[in-house]
This record gives sequence, C-alpha cells and structure tokens, in this order.
Amino acid sequence: MGVILAQVMVSGILLGGVYALISVGLTLIFGVLRVINFAHGEFLMIAMYASFWLFRLYGLDPYVSILLVVAFLFLVGLATEFLVIRPILNASASMQIAATVGLSILLQNLALVTMTANYRSVETRLSRAVVSVGPLMVGVSRLVAFLVALAITGILFLFLQRSYLGKAIRCTAQDRQAALLMGINTERVYLLTFAIGSALVGVAGALLTPLYPVFPTVGTYFVLAAFVVVVLGGLGNLTGALLGGFIIGLVEAFSGFYVPELKEAVYFVVFIIVLLIRPTGIFGVVGAEEVGLK
Amino acid sequence: MSTVRSRSILCSSIPVRSLGVLAAIAIVAAALAFLVHDKFYLHVLIMMLFYATASSAWNIVGGYAGQLSLGHAAFFGIGAYTSTLLFKDLGFSPWVGMLIGATLAAVVAGAIGYPSFRLRGPFFTLVTIAFAEVLRIVTLYAHDLTQGSMGISVPFRPALRNFVFRGLSNYAYVALAFMVITVLVSLWIENSRLGYYLAALREDEDAAHALGINTTRYKLVAVLVSAFFTAMAGTFYAQYIFFIEPFAIFSLDFSVLLAMMAIIGGIGTVWGPVAGAFLVAPLQEVLRAKLGGELEGLHLVVYGAVLIVVVILLPQGIVPSIAACWKRAFGQREPRPASLKDTAAQGGK
Repeated sequence: MGVILAQVMVSGILLGGVYALISVGLTLIFGVLRVINFAHGEFLMIAMYASFWLFRLYGLDPYVSILLVVAFLFLVGLATEFLVIRPILNASASMQIAATVGLSILLQNLALVTMTANYRSVETRLSRAVVSVGPLMVGVSRLVAFLVALAITGILFLFLQRSYLGKAIRCTAQDRQAALLMGINTERVYLLTFAIGSALVGVAGALLTPLYPVFPTVGTYFVLAAFVVVVLGGLGNLTGALLGGFIIGLVEAFSGFYVPELKEAVYFVVFIIVLLIRPTGIFGVVGAEEVGLK
Repeated sequence: MSTVRSRSILCSSIPVRSLGVLAAIAIVAAALAFLVHDKFYLHVLIMMLFYATASSAWNIVGGYAGQLSLGHAAFFGIGAYTSTLLFKDLGFSPWVGMLIGATLAAVVAGAIGYPSFRLRGPFFTLVTIAFAEVLRIVTLYAHDLTQGSMGISVPFRPALRNFVFRGLSNYAYVALAFMVITVLVSLWIENSRLGYYLAALREDEDAAHALGINTTRYKLVAVLVSAFFTAMAGTFYAQYIFFIEPFAIFSLDFSVLLAMMAIIGGIGTVWGPVAGAFLVAPLQEVLRAKLGGELEGLHLVVYGAVLIVVVILLPQGIVPSIAACWKRAFGQREPRPASLKDTAAQGGK
C-alpha cells in the first residue's frame, strides 16, 4: 500500500508540473494586463496541433520542434494582444471576459472545422518509456515535462527580477500610471507580456504532445484545471502558480485513486471553497480580488 | 416618466410603449405559430422564443446586476432534471415539477450566490463555471437517480397536464408565454427601485454601497429571479426535446450562449437578450441544418467572431446602438433622463 500511495504521489507531482507550466503563462498575463485570458486553453491546443503537424509532416520530435512552436505561439500572442486584447483593456470585466470567451469559441471551432474532432497523438521513442526509481515507475515524458516546468519558471523568475524588461513588467503590474510616468512604454509591456505568456503555454503544449492526444477541445480540459491553479496560487503570483500546480496535481491524483468518477468534482469543490474562504488564493495578496480588477 | 416616488422596491411603472412593443412581438409570434406548418420553421420559432426567455433570465443577474455568470447551465439543468425525474418516477405533472425545480434552482442560486457575491469580475465568473461543472459531474456520478451519461427520455404521453403536445405550434405558444412573462419581469425590474439599485451597483459597487444600498441583498434578489426563470426554461427544454443528458444540459457552451445573446443584443437592457436570441437562434438552427455534420462547428466560428467584434466595436450591444442612431437621426427628445449606462459608456471611452 505504501508503494502505491508513493506512486500516486509521484504521478500527482509530475502532473502538477504540467498544470504549473500552463498556469504560469495565464497568471503572468493576468498579473500585468488584469485580463483573464479564457482562450488560454485554445493556445495550448494550437501549440499541441503545431507540435503534432511538425512531427507528422517533417518528422520533427516534439522536443526538437519546441523552439518553433514557442516562436509560433509568441507570434500568436502578439497578434491576439494587438487585435483583441488592446481594444478592451479599459472595458468592464464583463466585456473583457466576453471577448476572450469569444476568442476561445472561435479558435476551438476553427480547429473543429479544419482538423475534425479526431484524436491525434504523437508516438515518439520516449512517449512510452519508463524509468524505475527504486520501486517507483516514472514516465520519461512526464519527468521531462516536470523538469522543464521547473526550469522555465525559474528562468522566468530570474528574467522578471534581473532584466530591464522584466523590471518594467513588474513595475507595470504594480502600478500602471506610475510605470507610465517613469517612462515605461506600458503598451509595449502589455504586448510583450501577453506574447511571453502565450509562448509559455507553447512550451506546455509541446511537452504535452507526446503524453496526451490532441483534439479541438483539449484546451478546455486543461485550462479549467489551470484556472483552479492560478486562483489557488493567487492570480498574478508565479511561485503561487507553481505550488498551486503541485497541489492540484496531488489532489487530482489522490482523488483519482480514491474516487475516480468524482475526480474533477473534487478539485472544483476545492476551488470553490478556496475562492469563498480566501479568494486571493493561498499565496495571493489580500484584497486583490476586489481591488485589482478595476 | 419612470420617476421613483414609491418607497417600496416592488413598485414599478412600466412605460406603455414597452408594453406595446411586447404585445406586437407576441401577436406576430402567435400568428406565425398559428400560420406556419413547416416543422423546421416552427422549430426555429420555438428556439427563438426559448432562447429569448433563457437569455432574458440570464440578463437579470448577468446584465442588470452586472455579475457575469457563465454557470447558468446549472440552474437550467436543475429545472430540467427536477421536473423530468418527478414526472417520470413519481408521476408529478411537469407543470408542478417546473415550479418545484425553479424554486429549487432559486434556493441553490441563493446558497452559491450569497457567499460568492463578494468576488468580483473574473473571480465570480470562475466560481459559476466551476459550480456548473460540479453539478454535471455529480449528475454523471449519481447514475442510479439520473441514469448518468445514458440520459433520461421524457415519456411521450400527450396531454396538457403532462406538458406534452402533439403539434409543434402548442410548444410555440408555451414558449411565447414564457418569453412574455420573463420580459414582463425584466420590464418590471428595470423600472422599479430594484432596477435602479442594480444599475447603481453595476456601474460602481463601492459608490452604491457608500450610498447605503445593500448591494449583496439586491444581487441576491437578482440571482434568485434569474435562476427561477432559467430553470423554467430548463423544464421547457426537457419537455420539448424529450431527452436530457448531463453533457448537453450542464454545458459551458449553453451558459456562454445565453450570455452571448444578451451581450450581442445589448447587455442590461430589456430588448437586448430578445434581439440577440432572435438573431442568433435562427442562425444557429439554419447553419446546423444546412451544414450539418460536414462543417460541424462553423456556426460557432461565426458566433465567436461576432462576439469579439460586437464587444470591441459595439460594447453596448446592437439594440442600444440602433436606438442611439435612431435618436440622432430623428432628433427625438427622450423624456426619460439618460440612463446610467449611457453616461458610463461615454465617460469610459
């Protein structure tokens, strides 16, 4: 029994790494632009399709094509910010949600029309490979996704702390007006932040392709968990997203073990309870849910 | 015209012109239901009236109170499942089941709404999404009661008492009655003290609170009414389609559709959701029938694009924009003071 529970725990932590990677981009965008991108899951779907087609057409392993996918998602992010997000930055929260939900519907069904609803998956040499650590079995692709998630979050953290652009991004997140007065081109900060957040979900998509099949609504499946993660970690909080990812990964793994049919309900219930008791998330700043969204 | 003199929040003076518009719509719809015999066109008419009802119901909390719910499928599902289970297992008339389901939905809405109203913007929206998802999963799980993903068929026993009819036009009359009731409730809210409170808290919750409006109480009233009528629409759907299952009933897409119709038509107005439903529902049915399986999802591509364009270019929606054009073109002076919404929209731009 002990071994089984340890195995469940390991798979929960590895799954959490994937959730964390998806959530980091979402939370970064929210922290700076104060817009929840409901189309974030569709960006994941686009990344997975890009990764799939590069494999199918050119035989590129998802781990090789990841750079292309990330660059592509960066461009998708730039275009989206420019066309959809920028015009609604000062609109009410309802209208912002409506616009990104519209984008989500548009992209999801565009995928349905062009790619059909078929599940497509990539089989690489590594996708089924397993290493054993003592009595525990660990899937190589999952391990890679987990390690890259940690590394990317670390790099992002350093980037935000050290680089000029990173400081400008943090400054804009703290106070738009003050940032503008300090000579920061906040419009460009928004543009780049959105693109970076999209590129991060591109990383996640490329890493998920060997693990999960891709289909038009795959984004919804992951992004609902990502919403739970970012709220749990405190919207806009990167370390919170990382830890929130692990918590939700563990919750999902254990509830999947004990009550498989109610697995998703469990983390939604956790989500509702967290929102009602401590809406700022476990690591968020108190009051953000009421003040930060003006 | 609609100055608020009375102290009670229940008193309302609905402008005669609005009642005239409603009567005109009702007469045209009833005439169409009577004259049209083509099954497909009758179905389109029924769907227009059905979505106008559901979207108007959504608009009471999503529009007037400004709480963007994307979980109304939960109330819809409670209505559909309650009346269907009571009808099938216990032999209750669906009319009675409908009222029980609607009451249950209102109670549930209060229980989930009350604690979540202090959340704002996206946080509230996320709770509503999560809530509907939980209900869907629980409905799937409780298959002894709900038959899980197998779904439930409503027995076909035509009788007024059973809310089951032979002719489609009867469904159109019922849908029309539901729409008229929901629109009347919207008109009543808009022109009552409650409507003014809701408009105030929608535009600036802190200011409304500072002026002494019990914002939580009025948001609660709005969500109770909204859930009640959404659940009624749920019963209608079950009785009309004869089949309910969790994925179709508790779907995020349905919740989004209700919100989308209201936003396209004009969020927080009486005629916005009606106009949105009258535009979007026929588009949906026709595209579905014409394109069918081949290009499944194409109509949703169109919706998504329209929604983005409307939000960016006409954030007030189609109805208020047309009304503004009309006013500009004919220079008619409105006796009513400019609504809070207009001034906010001008100030915000």
